[in-house]
Amino acid sequence: MDFGWTEEQRLWRRAVRDFAQNEIAPRVREIDEEEFIPREIVAGMADVGLLAPTVGEEYGGAGADWMMATIAAEELGRADISLAVPVLYLVEAAWGFIFYRYGSSGLKQEYLPRVTRGEAFLGIATTEPGGGSDILGACRTRGQRDGDRWVFNGEKVYISGVRESLDWGGIHLMLARTDPDEDAGHRAFTFFALPLKGTGGVIPTYFDDMGRMGISTGGFALDEVRLPLEHQVGELNKGFYHAMEGFSAARTLIGATCVGASEAALAMGMDQIKLREAFGRPIASFEGVQFPLANLYTDLEGVRLSTYKAAWLMDQMYRHGAATHHDIALAAAMAKLKAPRLGFSIMNEVADWHGAMAYTKECPIEMGIRGIRSYSIGAEGTPNVMRMIIARELLGKDFLPTLYTNKS
Amino acid sequence: MHIVVCTKYTPDSEAKMSVDEEGNISWGDSPLIINPWDEYSVEEALLLRDQHGGTVTVLSVGPEAALEALKHAVAMGADEAVRVWDEACAGSDTLATSYVLAKAVEKMGDVDLVLCGKSTIDAQTWQTGVALATRLGWPSLMYTINLVELRSEERSITVERLLEEGRQVVEAPLPAVLGTTKGINEPRYTSFIGIRKAAQMEYPLWTLEDIGAEREKVGPQGSGVRWPEVFEPPAREGEAEIIEAETIEEKARILTEMLLAEKVI
Repeated sequence: MDFGWTEEQRLWRRAVRDFAQNEIAPRVREIDEEEFIPREIVAGMADVGLLAPTVGEEYGGAGADWMMATIAAEELGRADISLAVPVLYLVEAAWGFIFYRYGSSGLKQEYLPRVTRGEAFLGIATTEPGGGSDILGACRTRGQRDGDRWVFNGEKVYISGVRESLDWGGIHLMLARTDPDEDAGHRAFTFFALPLKGTGGVIPTYFDDMGRMGISTGGFALDEVRLPLEHQVGELNKGFYHAMEGFSAARTLIGATCVGASEAALAMGMDQIKLREAFGRPIASFEGVQFPLANLYTDLEGVRLSTYKAAWLMDQMYRHGAATHHDIALAAAMAKLKAPRLGFSIMNEVADWHGAMAYTKECPIEMGIRGIRSYSIGAEGTPNVMRMIIARELLGKDFLPTLYTNKS
Repeated sequence: MHIVVCTKYTPDSEAKMSVDEEGNISWGDSPLIINPWDEYSVEEALLLRDQHGGTVTVLSVGPEAALEALKHAVAMGADEAVRVWDEACAGSDTLATSYVLAKAVEKMGDVDLVLCGKSTIDAQTWQTGVALATRLGWPSLMYTINLVELRSEERSITVERLLEEGRQVVEAPLPAVLGTTKGINEPRYTSFIGIRKAAQMEYPLWTLEDIGAEREKVGPQGSGVRWPEVFEPPAREGEAEIIEAETIEEKARILTEMLLAEKVI
């Protein structure tokens, strides 16, 4: 056991914190109100090596491991509690990795250097109007071969970065059903790299989000959309499994970014309760204030450790072959289950400490509450799906609720 | 081009300084950082290297903690880093430090330009750069706000200096010692790839013997400055006044009159 950081990790945390606290933190309110992340921030992230950092250097990435990527996620969450910049970061980090791992070399050459320079967006599109948790039942978008093209029809909703992709260019990794046989189970889906900009038959739409306003949420209908064969990402009918890998990566980074935002909220709260006086004493001296702080800090430290364990396991698997995706899925699901809900609780408690000011936009905590709710509702997996994954790893596949649903 | 950047580690600019009854200065548990003014020098050196080719070496006189400054500079993009230290150097003032720096630059031999920050945020003496130039016998170009032109073939340089009276354009032969000031550039952040290099690089340590420096010229015996007493300045007393007026324009007018009366503006 070693709870210390390596020299590289220590320097990296300081570098990301320097950048994020100087360039992002002072602009979070502006990002929330203007509803976009200024391009100079994205360009700065590129210079530091924060865009799709796990992509290899041959495509302009930093070749970062998952511990380093997770450290960055925590620091970005600390700087932007609205979570807009962290969403941009972690979506590209997780799904950029999947594209780097499974994409065709020509397409990687075309997109990844632009993504890592901040000149193109890379996102994920699995959720459909019928749902996001039950991919087997809900993923109705069809991909069919027609000579040297794939042809798509369907619809995707609640997708991060639709406007960014249309403005900057880029791709979304889109899951489509490629085997019409309903008995094919999980082996019926394939990933495709879909450029939203300039592709005929893509009809975008937008949702007016509650929080994390700086990054867009949208969707798109696909009407006879045609893509060359090289846009297939990974093996035919293995898209579900590639998606699970990406989700585990994203969940680990979500854990870290929610931990970072929670740490920022707690720090803000501690400043407040030490200074704020009531009944002739600082409110920090009241048991009703300091005991919740102690409980929340203890919970947060536990979640932080389990999040970094998930990152460590990912490096064990991808760098050393010493862990399996089962290990990762379990650890990442635990981080994703706990961190957003705990962060939401922490932000609500910190809001209470601030009193009426917390209900105004003078206080940043409301941006945090609105933002973190995205991840405690769903986004890369609902809490109940996380519980199903955890139970699956503990009990085995024979007790998966979906088995019984399908039998009935 | 071989460009050397002198740098020093300092406590973080947000550190709270305190002095105990024995006169010992403490920065608390503040993290150590590269002296912020040195970041401008590192940036300028990197820009020059990218334009003219060559090598950027960062140089620091200090104990192991000085590695913080060197690592930051390497993570920004510097090619080489050298630390000079001997316990005898502890307690050196600018006179002694400039001697050690000059000896290290002379040992390198092929240096075309030395860059320094305008001062360090802890000691704030503003002297080391000038003293170093004097020791080396090279032109001293302090407070440079704009590097107008460097002519590597002709071995000369033109810079714009920011002085109290205004700006001054001067030309000097190389080698020279150049002191940067805020505004000359916008220092870059360290990057992932730079950090990987900084974390893995070997940092050679030169001793006084390595650079041929005499022990009696460093540390307190080599310093001109003595510290008979160190104490915290008394807390400043002040008062706040809130300007009451109907409109913001009226408040601004009253504030302006008060500032004029106090000869602040």
